[in-house]
Amino acid sequence: MLGVWIFALFLLGTVRGDEVCYDRLGCFTNNIPWAGTAERPIARLPWTPGKINTRLLLYTRENPNNFQEITAINPSTILASNFKTNRKTRFITHGFVDKGEENWLHDMCKRMLQVEDVNCICVDWKGGSLCSYTQAANNIRVVGAEVAYFIDTLKDNYGYSAANVHFIGHSLGAHAAAETGRRVRGLARITGLDPAEPYFQSTPKEVRLDISDATFVDVIHTDAAPIIPNLGFGMSQAVGHLDFYPNGGEEMPGCQKNVISQIVDIDGIWEGTRDFVACNHLRSYKYYSDSILSQNGFIGYPSPTYESFKSGTGFPCPSGGCPRMGHYADNFHGVTTVSQKFYLNTGDAKEFSRWRYMVTVTISGSFSVRGYFNIALYGSNGVTRQHQIFKGSISPGKTYTAYIDVEADVGTLNKVKFLWNNNILNPLLPKFGAQTVTVQFGGDGTKSSFCGSETVREDILQTLNLC
Amino acid sequence: MRRPFFLLLPLLTFALTLAAPPDKGLIINLDNGELCLNSLQCKSGCCHRRSGLSLARCAPKAAETQECSPKSIIGVYYKCVCESGLTCEADKSIVGSITNSNFGICVDPNAHVL
Repeated sequence: MLGVWIFALFLLGTVRGDEVCYDRLGCFTNNIPWAGTAERPIARLPWTPGKINTRLLLYTRENPNNFQEITAINPSTILASNFKTNRKTRFITHGFVDKGEENWLHDMCKRMLQVEDVNCICVDWKGGSLCSYTQAANNIRVVGAEVAYFIDTLKDNYGYSAANVHFIGHSLGAHAAAETGRRVRGLARITGLDPAEPYFQSTPKEVRLDISDATFVDVIHTDAAPIIPNLGFGMSQAVGHLDFYPNGGEEMPGCQKNVISQIVDIDGIWEGTRDFVACNHLRSYKYYSDSILSQNGFIGYPSPTYESFKSGTGFPCPSGGCPRMGHYADNFHGVTTVSQKFYLNTGDAKEFSRWRYMVTVTISGSFSVRGYFNIALYGSNGVTRQHQIFKGSISPGKTYTAYIDVEADVGTLNKVKFLWNNNILNPLLPKFGAQTVTVQFGGDGTKSSFCGSETVREDILQTLNLC
Repeated sequence: MRRPFFLLLPLLTFALTLAAPPDKGLIINLDNGELCLNSLQCKSGCCHRRSGLSLARCAPKAAETQECSPKSIIGVYYKCVCESGLTCEADKSIVGSITNSNFGICVDPNAHVL
């Protein structure tokens, strides 16, 4: 049986040299590297533009709730729409088995329109995405070409520069954006939201998303585990100027819920079912969407691996600052021509933004005990929950260090609170306290020190003020 | 007629075993966001629902200055109970305790001493 399959694959692999040409968009071949390689064994030619039916759905501040459909085939639709050439344009496109009218694209536009005046265009290509994966992976070439044709039309008719264009693509859509970038030189930015792995990872750069496709390419990896056997749909390969791996890039918090809890989601059965199928993969656009409204909640720290990030590499941010994952990644000044990797942790449900602190605690008390202790931060803008710093043997005089990702931007710190517990009855009534607590914010490296003189019984909060 | 059942059962058990790695549970030790019936099931210690009609899910406890409910025997809360070391300062009424709506604010009982 296996032999038959190998033979069939071999046959499919040998069919090559075909080419289709479509007016406006040019020709598409399935020569190497488009097919017949180890990464792309099955050859497929992209469908006709008519069948894929790429649609551009425009949202602006004038029409934030209902889209206007525009097309370059009939430029009068652009003239009649709310499209303005003095604004930046951001395209958003979806991936495999998804469509442009899906809520997440529109929500992303709405959030952008809250913070900036842009032409936000959702690119729908459901005609070409609801089919076999190999077919969809080739249909994106037409989708990318269509958007490129649209940008060219803008250039010819209005003198609109490609340097005003940002293309955000999720999964297969990220590689569609790459196709646009190859056809229209000088695109300002491409954001790849967990670019699809099968048929793209390790392929030559003319096939996949790459640094050369735009002036600035940033990528968010949320499902980078291998497709076999982990069913990770996203690329692990770093393909942009800045590559972010939130939570390590492979397993997202909040995605390991039991089946019923996952499907019966707060945002409805449909969102839940999507998450049941591809929770990690879809987190990438959720983080991006949250980042639009939370400018400092997604600071990425430079580190070679997630393990070393967890143990403190890249913390606090170097003098040049850290990039922000998501919408504000282009504010970063340290962009170079080689891929740079950044790590951060996020929350397990929206709001996903987190602020990373290093906390150092020196304990005072009478004797050692096994238990845990927490620290809560109090600042000018609010308070955080209690975050566990250490669990194990707590000894007086010892210093403990931990990194915590807190859920609120508390501003300038003015006090911290310490609480310990060991969950058993203590007939000796031991008392512990924090002598000194040093808290350092990762974003700008500011340090605050807090001093305490008292000790407290378990489950009682000790307040430490600035010293 | 019986055939779909034979198919369904192993599928379901497979799905359930897949969904429950050893360190977490279906019934106890639930993570935030998982469906619950009582706070005892949640790691966080709070089984939270938004309204009388919505489903309850595990949620983190309330921090200082946040809204809360005092501990109740019902075990499901519209506002989560406070984190340890804090007390929920609320005006308690009989109607409120029946409908589980004695909402208050988490405060640190020690902070008043200072």
